[in-house]
Amino acid sequence: MTPRAADAVWSGGRVGGLLPGPRDRALLANFLRRELTTRYLGSVTGFAWALLSPLALLAVYYFVFTHIFRATGFAGPSFLAFVAVALWPWLAAQEALQRGAVSIAGYGGMIRKVAFPHELIVLASVAATFVLQFAGYLAILAVLRIAGEPIHLRGLLIAVPVWAVLLVGVAGLTFFVAALQVFVKDVEHVLMPLLMMLMYLTPILYPLTLVPEGVRPWVAANPFNWVVGRLRDGLLEGRLSLQPSDALAVAISIALFVAGRWVFRRLSPHFEDFV
Amino acid sequence: MSTALLTLEGVGKDYAKVESRGGRLRLVFDLLRGHGAAHVFCALDDVSFTMARGESLGIIGENGAGKSTLLKVVAGVIQPTRGRVAVNGRVGALLELGSGFHPEYTGLANIDLAAALLGLAPSELGAKRDEIIAFADLGEHINDPLKQYSSGMVVRLGFAVATALSPDVLITDEVLAVGDESFQKRCIAWMERYLAGGGTLLLCSHSMYHIQKLCTHALWLKDGRIERYGPANDVAQAYLAYHEEKDARAHRPIGTDKAAASGWYAIEGLALEPSDTIEQGAALTVRGQVFSPDDRTPVVLVGIVRADGTPVYGVATDMEDAPPVRIAVQRYAFSLTFPEMALLPGRYQVRAHALDPEGVRLFDHVEQTFTVTGATRELGFVRLPHRWQAPA
Repeated sequence: MTPRAADAVWSGGRVGGLLPGPRDRALLANFLRRELTTRYLGSVTGFAWALLSPLALLAVYYFVFTHIFRATGFAGPSFLAFVAVALWPWLAAQEALQRGAVSIAGYGGMIRKVAFPHELIVLASVAATFVLQFAGYLAILAVLRIAGEPIHLRGLLIAVPVWAVLLVGVAGLTFFVAALQVFVKDVEHVLMPLLMMLMYLTPILYPLTLVPEGVRPWVAANPFNWVVGRLRDGLLEGRLSLQPSDALAVAISIALFVAGRWVFRRLSPHFEDFV
Repeated sequence: MSTALLTLEGVGKDYAKVESRGGRLRLVFDLLRGHGAAHVFCALDDVSFTMARGESLGIIGENGAGKSTLLKVVAGVIQPTRGRVAVNGRVGALLELGSGFHPEYTGLANIDLAAALLGLAPSELGAKRDEIIAFADLGEHINDPLKQYSSGMVVRLGFAVATALSPDVLITDEVLAVGDESFQKRCIAWMERYLAGGGTLLLCSHSMYHIQKLCTHALWLKDGRIERYGPANDVAQAYLAYHEEKDARAHRPIGTDKAAASGWYAIEGLALEPSDTIEQGAALTVRGQVFSPDDRTPVVLVGIVRADGTPVYGVATDMEDAPPVRIAVQRYAFSLTFPEMALLPGRYQVRAHALDPEGVRLFDHVEQTFTVTGATRELGFVRLPHRWQAPA
């Protein structure tokens, strides 16, 4: 039998593949279930809130842009569809990073007393967020389509892989912030305003074409711009063709994952003392 | 020889010491570059031992000696900074019962969680689940969230889970003294069955009784290093003797140098003749000098205690009108002989105390260990004059 304590846990940093091994899948499944059930267990609205809060945000943006600024012409035929397609993946990334950053502390007692691969905590936290936000995404797309908004459902053929690429990249970043948070408690406080600023610097509420030409390359260099662009290509335009930027995005995403996990594995043996 | 179940080679564990806020950032950089932390506290150093299957080991030592750190290293909870740990089997760790549990989960869901932590899928758990439920004996509470359990109930579930998964090595940290009386009995009974069936125990306990009862070997840790390793009885006895002497030392009111410097009556030089090892029944003479700051004749009290501090006999110069003799300015000498040492073989201490001339205030306390040798099966620590006779 594989000696779990000595090999499975601590050799993980040297030989582990991209995904958890078979022995860890049961634990990952357990952690994922735990994240999904306990995250909203105490709240009255439960899961519903996870699905409704982005909807409320969408309603506010819709009201502000169509009734106050009255400037939605840039968004094509439907401002709602234009924003909705990009908003959910952003919220998924944002929530995954924020929850993931503090996820280790929630397992402090376990880390101090039980041997298990700590990275499963982060993976479960990120996966739980993505599962909920993706479910909300599918629901809003269905609602918009039924309401007659211009959504191309075959665009899902490209939307699903784009979400997958996003998940891998965000998991990598979350590894990084989660490991750092254990040692430096400022991470979570820096993260919130940073993400808020980034949101407005990402073409979510506006198209890249509206950005002044001088700064446009900077905004375009944001990897999340690729996510937004590809989702709009597929779901709003119905275009499914691949682009050279897709390969780059996949490469960046995997690089983020590998780098984030490397940092995490370097630091995780010392969590026990700091968590 | 069979293959070792557990091998530790030169294992050491350093904990990073971080004083300032900036220190935490620097620590992160050091760790990322693969360096160790700059400032460390060494919790464990150069620990090596081998355990064969069925050869249980008890870990003893004072608080902070590194016992828990060692157990955590073996359990895989922490990675050693130095050295190598090789485990050739499944490790079950009971480090604080119920620590892997989640308070919001029901007892049943926590059984699944604990199994998953050991790398078992719910399907693999199978029949073991019923076994665990039966051993924990929680009745309907097994379906309640864990947060509603009493601490005793959590412990029962924890013990049931850890033991049902039949580990090759079971690591426990002072958890034998938990639960109610009947559960404790069941734990001990289970342990004995487990050991009889070839199970191996790595136990950390302050109870020498449990160490000697359950373990074949013992390891005494002191300041993170191995002080002594060997058969459980030998190590446990050495450890107890160390504590007896330490406790006795702690009673010493004040040091000689300090006493002399502050102008107090002090014992200077205490000698045992013919030597500090005597035959049972032989003579023992205690000689010494006393410093008297005001050159008045002090009172000397000489006592004999056992190694653990139990008083055996004591007598003072003013009780028998045998004052110390003045040999120089501020210097007095005394000499006391026990012509036939009635003490049974063992280790003892002579304690000499200096008192003021009134024999009221105790100023100094010096002690010296001596050994009485001999072969006898008599019990206790002193031979009382006695005779056997035919009943009337």
